[in-house]
Amino acid sequence: MLLAVRGAKIYTGRGDIIEKGMLLAGDDGKILDVGQDTAVPDNAEILDLEGRVIIPGLIDAHTHVGIWGDGEGEPSQDSNEWIDPVTAGVSALNGVNPLHNSFEGAREGGITTVQILPGSVNPVGGLCFACKTAGSIIDDMVIKNPTGLKGAMGENPKWAHGQMQKKAPASRMGIAAAIREFFLRAGEYKVKKNRAMEKGEFFETDIRMESGLMVLDRKIPFRVHAHRHDDIATALRICGEFAIDCSIEHCTDGYLIADYLGKKNTVAMVGPGLSSSSKLETAGFSDENAVILSRHGVKTCLITDHPFLNCRYFLAYASIVHKYGLSLQDTLRAITLSPAEALGIEERTGSLEVGKDADFAVLGGEPFTLKGRVESTFIEGKCVWRRKLY
Amino acid sequence: MLAIVNARLITVADGIIENGAVLLKDKRIVSLGRDIAIPDNCRKIDAIGRPVTPGLIDAHTHAGISEHGIDWAGNDTNEGTNPVNPFCRVKDGINMKDRAFDKLRKAGITCIGVLPGSSNILGGAGLALKCTGIIVDEAIVKDPIGIKAALGENPKKCYGKNNQSPATRMGNAAVLRESLLKAKQYLEKKQSSKEPALDMKWEALLPVIKKEIPLFIHCHRHDDIVTAVRICREFDVRFALEHVTDGHLIADFLKKHQVHCAVGPTLYYGSKVENRDRSFKTPVQFDRKKIPFCFITDHPVVDARNLALTAGMAVQWGMSEESALRAITLGSAEHIGINDRVGSLEAGKDADLVIWSGNPLEFTSFADMTIINGDTVYERGNRPCY
Repeated sequence: MLLAVRGAKIYTGRGDIIEKGMLLAGDDGKILDVGQDTAVPDNAEILDLEGRVIIPGLIDAHTHVGIWGDGEGEPSQDSNEWIDPVTAGVSALNGVNPLHNSFEGAREGGITTVQILPGSVNPVGGLCFACKTAGSIIDDMVIKNPTGLKGAMGENPKWAHGQMQKKAPASRMGIAAAIREFFLRAGEYKVKKNRAMEKGEFFETDIRMESGLMVLDRKIPFRVHAHRHDDIATALRICGEFAIDCSIEHCTDGYLIADYLGKKNTVAMVGPGLSSSSKLETAGFSDENAVILSRHGVKTCLITDHPFLNCRYFLAYASIVHKYGLSLQDTLRAITLSPAEALGIEERTGSLEVGKDADFAVLGGEPFTLKGRVESTFIEGKCVWRRKLY
Repeated sequence: MLAIVNARLITVADGIIENGAVLLKDKRIVSLGRDIAIPDNCRKIDAIGRPVTPGLIDAHTHAGISEHGIDWAGNDTNEGTNPVNPFCRVKDGINMKDRAFDKLRKAGITCIGVLPGSSNILGGAGLALKCTGIIVDEAIVKDPIGIKAALGENPKKCYGKNNQSPATRMGNAAVLRESLLKAKQYLEKKQSSKEPALDMKWEALLPVIKKEIPLFIHCHRHDDIVTAVRICREFDVRFALEHVTDGHLIADFLKKHQVHCAVGPTLYYGSKVENRDRSFKTPVQFDRKKIPFCFITDHPVVDARNLALTAGMAVQWGMSEESALRAITLGSAEHIGINDRVGSLEAGKDADLVIWSGNPLEFTSFADMTIINGDTVYERGNRPCY
C-alpha cells in the first residue's frame, strides 16, 4: 500500500523547505514523490499532518545501541573486547541485541539509522556497521557492514590496559605504537597475500589483518576516539603515515585546532553533547565545538555516543548546538545528511528525495523548539514509534 | 540600588507581570509590579520585554566537591571508609574555584544544594549556597540543610564488594536503623547524664532526631523508596527523597505520605540497574498528582547547565510550563528549606534573578544576565564557553 503524508512542512534535508508538502512512499518503503501537495493516488493511505513538521530520519553516527547495556550492569556490556589492546578481528555486528530497549529509545528520538561501534578501551577495537533502528534480526536491519574500524587514543586504553591490567599500552606513546604496529603488520600481510595470490599459493587468512587491509585499501575508514587536541593530532599523523581515511570520534578539543582540522579535510563526529567533564581529557568540552568546527570547513556530524547521552535526547543536543550559532539547516544536516555521507549510505538515507528510503520523523513544530518534539518516527514508510504523553 | 524595568516578570509565586519592574536594594527585592515607584538616582536596566525569572536552583549537586575535569584529585564527594559518617560536612570539601560555578552562573543558576555522595548509608551534612564568591562560608544560605543518607546499590557496591557491611539492601536498612536508634539513645543518655561522653557520630545526627533538619535519602528503585519511608516513619524523623527514579510506579503511596521528592538526573545514562527506568513519567505524574517535587541534575552526573533543558523536556512530555519552571526554582527551594529567602520574585526575598533572551524553558534561550544578591555575576558576551 502506498502512503501519502500530506499537509506538513517538509525539510528535505538538502536545504529545501516545502510548506504544506506531500511525501509519497511506495510498497517497497522508498520515496516515490516529495513536493507540493498535489493529487494523491487512489490506492494510497492518507496521513494528514497539517501543522506538523517533517524532517529526514535522524542518523546518529556514533552509538553503542544494543551493545552497551542501559541500567543492566556488567552482564550487558558487549562493546569492549578489552583483554587485548588490538582486537581488529571482532565486529560490533556480533554483539548487538536488536530487541534491546535502546533501539526503542532511538526511535523515540526520531533516529532511523545508527552506526554501532565497539567501545574505546582498545587502540584497535573492531569493526563498526550501520543499521536501521527497527527490527528483530540484526542482519535484516543492516544498511552497510562494515562501515569502519574503531580505534582509540587517550585515557581509556591507558586506563583499561596500563592501569587495570598492568600491561601495554600504559601511555599515549604506547597507544600510538600499538596502532602503528598494527598497520605496519597489515601492510606486510598485504604484500604477502598479494604475492601468494599471484603465485596461486595457499595463503593463511588472518581475520585481524583482513580488517587492517580494508582500511589500508581505503574501503573503510579508521574511526578514532580522540578527545584531547594532541590525541586528535596524533590520530591524524598516524593516518597520514599510512594514507588511510579516518574520522575523529568525539573531537572534544577540536575547536582549539579547528584551522588545522579544516585544512586536513577532517571528518569530526562531535559528542556526546550535554556532557559534563568528569575526565581530564574532556575538561575542554565546549557547547560551541561543532559550531566552530563547521565554520572552519570540518565535516561535522553530531553524535550521542549512546548510552553516554541517551539517543532519545539527540534532538535536544542538536538544539544546544543550534543555540550556540550553527544555522538551523546546518544543524539539521549534521544529524541527517552529513552522517549519511560520512558512513557512505547517502544513496539510501539522510534526506527526503525520490528513490531514497522513506525514513522520517514527524515533529509537533519547528525543529529545536519545545513544540518541535518528535511525535512519530517512520522507517521505510512504516510508523515505528508514536508519542503517548505520560 | 538597581531597577530592572520593562520586563516580563515570571514571579513563580504569583503569576506573570507584563511590562513590570523590579527594584533591588541591599541584596533584597524591595518591590515589583507594573507601577512601582523607582527612585530617580536608581541605576536601571531595560529588559526590553525579555523574561525575568527568579534565579534557578538545583537542590542536589556535587559542585565544587566533584570537580570539573580533574578526576580523583578533585573528587571529595564520598568519605567511603565507613558507612556511617554523619559528622562529615560538605562545607569542608567545596572548592569555590571549581569551573562548575562559572557554568552554573552562565546557566542562570544562582543557588544550589550541595550534598555528600551516596556511597555511605549516612554520608554527612549538606548545605545550600549561592553560586558566587570564593569563601564557602560567605556563600552559604543554609548549613546544614540536612544529612545525606543512601539506600540501594551504591553503599552495597562500596562496602559489600570489599566484604564489609552493608552488602545487601537488608544490610543498608539495618545500618540506617541501628544508627538512628543509637543516636536516639545517645540523646536520652545526654539528657539524663550530668557529664555525658561526647560521640561525634551521634552528636551529628541529633538535629535529625530532634526533627530540626531532614534526612535526604538517595533512593532510585521503588522498594528502596518504600524502605526509606518505612524507616523514617518508624523513627519519626523528617526526610526528603533524592532521585526517586521509580516514583511513577508508587505515586499514590508517595502522595499519601506527602514526601518531597528531588527527581533526577533524568538525562543520565543507565549506569546501574537501579536507575534503569529513568524517564519523564515520574515528574509528570508527580505534577499531576500534586506530589511536591523538583528537578535535580546531580551535577556533575548530569551537567547542571542542563537544568532548564531538563524542565523543557518535561514540558515536551506534557507538563505545564508553569509547573516545570516551579520545579527548578521555588520547588527546589522548598526541597532544601530555603524558600523563605529564594525561589520566587517576591518583595523581601533575596535579589537573585535572571534576564533571559527568550522563554527560559526553550532549548535555544540564553541566560543574558545572572544576578545574585543584587550583583551581576554573569553577563552574556562573546567569550568562548566550556
